[in-house]
Amino acid sequence: MAQPDVTDAELIARVVVQDDRHAFSELVRRHQSAVRATLRRLTAGNHALADDLAQDTFMLAYRNLRSFRQEARFSTWLFRIATNAFLADARKRKEELLGDGDAEVGADDDEAGSPASAASDHTRGATLRLDMERAMKGLSDGERAAIVQCYHNDLSHEEAAYVLNCPVGTVKTHILRAKAKLKLQLGAWAPEQD
Amino acid sequence: MSERSPSMVEPVDDWLDAALRAEAADHRGDYLADGGFTARVVAGLPAPATPPAWRKRAVMGIWAAASVGIALALPGTSVDIAREFVRIAVGHPVSLAQIATGVVLLGIGSWTAAVWALRRG
Repeated sequence: MAQPDVTDAELIARVVVQDDRHAFSELVRRHQSAVRATLRRLTAGNHALADDLAQDTFMLAYRNLRSFRQEARFSTWLFRIATNAFLADARKRKEELLGDGDAEVGADDDEAGSPASAASDHTRGATLRLDMERAMKGLSDGERAAIVQCYHNDLSHEEAAYVLNCPVGTVKTHILRAKAKLKLQLGAWAPEQD
Repeated sequence: MSERSPSMVEPVDDWLDAALRAEAADHRGDYLADGGFTARVVAGLPAPATPPAWRKRAVMGIWAAASVGIALALPGTSVDIAREFVRIAVGHPVSLAQIATGVVLLGIGSWTAAVWALRRG
């Protein structure tokens, strides 16, 4: 295990200047969990694909480490590479992904919109989260990516725009559209209005 | 000023926003065990670019041959250059303060160049 007091910037410098493989493996070890978790969300739970894309992400990061200008956190830069890798892969698999996704969400629509009224608060929360995960599959790749970056990775709109390589306005639009779709999918969970 | 995602939440979206946040918070602390992932990534890296052992000797040989060639082709020039160096050194003796100033200036110059190169690269 490398020393925890060594910063990412120092490790990056070692990789760039000395081609230090141990420094790079420490960077991978530090960030693999966040990158793989993000990709698992983007791929709607496809762990094998997420890990393949995560591996591609770190290989690309290694090759392009010299171009990392520290204008963003290293983790944000990795999210950007990971999201690009996911979107490029999704474009390649578009027909297959859309076909499966639509069928799955369509079949789950009824289930997602019918919370068990007698369930306890704990069960209710868990069920809502399951429905949420299911409803996320109905979002477009861009919408899901925006939600994942802003909510799960807790990025600001500006950071999400950097990661998604698009204007801030597009991020906001993606989020508004995603929320509109989620509201439709999860309508039964909305509190009753007086 | 960085705009965080909650700022765009409308009241009507509160329940959805809260649900999204709760769902995200549920998983944020999760740590995915490495399980050999790092080793697979490192194993897939391209082989380090190590120059062959003979290259350094070949480069030094070429430089030596070129130096000898120039010295033989221009015999008077190398003697003149050496003589000028001696003349300058003897004609302008330097004090300890000048040496110190020179070392400081050299240091500042090297550090500035190093910082510039690091920022650029």
